[in-house]
Amino acid sequence: MKTLFWMQTGACSGESLAILSAESPSIEQLFTLHGMDLLWHPSLSHQSPRAYEALLERLQSGEQALDVLCIEGSIITAPHGTGLYDTHRGRAKQDIVLALAARAGVVVAMGTCAAFGGVHAAPPNPSDCLGLQFDRQQPGGLLPAAWRSRLGLPVINVAGCPAHPHAMTQTLAWLAADLPLPLDGLNRPVMHFSQVVHQGCTRNEYHEYNIEETEPGGRGCLFFNLGCQGPLTQAVCNSDLWNGKSSKTRVGVPCFGCTAPTFPRDTDLFATEKIGNVPVRLPLGVERSRYMAYKNLAHDAAPPRVRDKKMEP
Amino acid sequence: MARVELNISVNRSEGDLEIGVTLDDNVIVDARTIGTMYRGFEQIMIGRAPRDAMVITPRVCGICGTAHLYCSVLALEQAWQLPVPPQATRIRNLCLTAEGIQSDIRQTFLFFVPDFVHERYRDRPWYAEAVQAFAPFQGRVYRETLAITRQVVGIVALFGGQWPHSSYMLPGGVVAPAEPKRLLATRAIIDAAQTWVEERLLGMPLDEWLAIDTADAYFAALEESAHRDSALGLMTRICRSLDLHRQGRGTPHMLSFGGGCDPVRWGPGNASRLWPSGVYNAVSGVVEELDQGQISEHVRHSWFRPYSGGEASRHPFEGETVPDYQPQSDRYSWAKAPRYAGRVMQTGPLAELVIGGDKLLADLNRREGSGSWLRQFARVRRLAYELVQARTTVDELAGHLGEPHFVEPRPGSEVDGQGYGLVMAARGALGHWVSVRDGQIERYQIVTPTAWNASPRDSTGLKGHWEQSLIGLSVRDPDDPVEIGHLIRSHDPCLVCTVHMLGSGKRLHFDA
Repeated sequence: MKTLFWMQTGACSGESLAILSAESPSIEQLFTLHGMDLLWHPSLSHQSPRAYEALLERLQSGEQALDVLCIEGSIITAPHGTGLYDTHRGRAKQDIVLALAARAGVVVAMGTCAAFGGVHAAPPNPSDCLGLQFDRQQPGGLLPAAWRSRLGLPVINVAGCPAHPHAMTQTLAWLAADLPLPLDGLNRPVMHFSQVVHQGCTRNEYHEYNIEETEPGGRGCLFFNLGCQGPLTQAVCNSDLWNGKSSKTRVGVPCFGCTAPTFPRDTDLFATEKIGNVPVRLPLGVERSRYMAYKNLAHDAAPPRVRDKKMEP
Repeated sequence: MARVELNISVNRSEGDLEIGVTLDDNVIVDARTIGTMYRGFEQIMIGRAPRDAMVITPRVCGICGTAHLYCSVLALEQAWQLPVPPQATRIRNLCLTAEGIQSDIRQTFLFFVPDFVHERYRDRPWYAEAVQAFAPFQGRVYRETLAITRQVVGIVALFGGQWPHSSYMLPGGVVAPAEPKRLLATRAIIDAAQTWVEERLLGMPLDEWLAIDTADAYFAALEESAHRDSALGLMTRICRSLDLHRQGRGTPHMLSFGGGCDPVRWGPGNASRLWPSGVYNAVSGVVEELDQGQISEHVRHSWFRPYSGGEASRHPFEGETVPDYQPQSDRYSWAKAPRYAGRVMQTGPLAELVIGGDKLLADLNRREGSGSWLRQFARVRRLAYELVQARTTVDELAGHLGEPHFVEPRPGSEVDGQGYGLVMAARGALGHWVSVRDGQIERYQIVTPTAWNASPRDSTGLKGHWEQSLIGLSVRDPDDPVEIGHLIRSHDPCLVCTVHMLGSGKRLHFDA
């Protein structure tokens, strides 16, 4: 049996709500059938405030073993590094996180805020937010880049705003089973961050033939004009649908790149920055000259059903 | 007289909440609500492209992002005087309703009723029933709540791609049209939710339930086994046996921004709602017309710099949010204190339905006042209206297939100016006020439902609604203040929306 403690820092509860939508496994399966013992979750636990304080004490002293520490939310360090803009009973949350992280077998950042700073760290970053082990894309956050947990792991970044429900429950189920969890260069689990959002998008054929929308509400691709980051954002949104139903890009909302440390970018989120007719940021790993050559041909090759946007995405 | 000062952190609310109370012989004589986090969303908005509000503001809150999205789109549409196609308004309403259904069920059965499984109630005649139904992760209703709400948010995903945190409403409409597959998938979810609500929560069909229009008729239904044994019947019996209908009244004045926009009439110069907005004046007993110009925010007891002109309060269009942390002063909260024409207001499902004209709640409110039980009961009552509304909206969408869901704003329409958007979120009246200048957001102010309910004292020293509602409550065991938990959770706190805040419980000192 592994113990799990979930704590919110500078959060909107988005991960706590999103995880309720997980189905494979669901949280009730995770906490009853996968050997994960939920010590505390702020939205779900029903022990008294006194019991919670006692639990916090036992976790920090080591009397209560802590296998998995989940942090949801940005680490608020203002004012002046004291962290007093986000407190629990007068104590800066950042200090509680540090104390618990020192005891935890593994620390999991649930969501982009905890991983990289997220939306609260957007300019002017009014509460001086950091991620747990990153400050946006710079390694080193509340914890230094070289920090490792008791089991020798860096903070595992289950990024997303919010994190995908299955990225959360499947990572936890894997950890509960003591199975190895390969991580990418941003310490995100490879199993949920090797694909791009573009993969599985039902607008792909429009993209393929360069049939691009210039305004919202249509059927075509959103990459060239409407700010979509799908081809360069790593996440499972279109291969493991949200709420079992759909994804933002499928319905026509551009991907904002919310699993990336740079989310949210500073420029207009519904516009694509371009050089000439081609986006500045190309699909992951693509060479500009070849991409331009391909796109020039693609539009002319479009069959009428694509060119005339006959297909519902 | 034994005086105890107590600071309690409240879990199972959305966001961090601490309550400071002073007890004299175990009775609360003073109370302060304290959020404990400051994120500064309104500052993050300044200087951004106006439409970025559709991405940033839903992320204020994980449980009511659709409501924030709706407010932000209405605010910009007002600033830019944009017409909205009726199909877009229908889809917005449908998604807001789905989010409301989700929130009302989860708040009631994941956050509120688990307190009745507390050890203290082991000897109560209803305890075994409560455990069987409401115990976290084990109880039947608890588990079914997880399953059904998981389905309900799928409606938002069908039109918005995902829940939470999508950006599918944009000035001019919504991104995806109603089409048969979406509508049928939505219908399937609504039907499943309705069946569950009728069978498990109410013990009767929706139309029969909505036809109950007096307190007497309700209490008679509570005697009959089908409703008595339903989840709501059980909750009501427990609440009333614990006297929760007599506790936690707070201010009797109520505020509602009204139900969804009227799809056919809504647009520049027309603010028609499907369910009326208004202000319930408890002194006169009259519902007055809403005038958003009467809303102002005080910062006298908040950790914000006093307004630069020395004003006691300011309308949100003129709002300022400049942190000024003074823990040793008599300021104690990062929440501002919103007031309507100087009055403290409560908002939420009870306010929405009393102002909207639900006869049963109006009668109960008249007879017993707005106690903890009635607030919670109103949340479940609203579910029935939400389900009916969702079903009607799907039918209307199907009746207008192929009509536009998005009208691109004409070039040049995105002018500088001001606008506000008001909706009823799950927790009550939510408003966004935006000013656009030089094509960028110049000012953005959000006043949330919990800001109304959990407000600190204002410039005149008047306590906020929760603070008032706590006064007089008896707390048997200050180390385990179950009574405060019932009362505060019945307000459905959402502190993540509200705080502006930072706070430190142990620094609070109350005057003797």
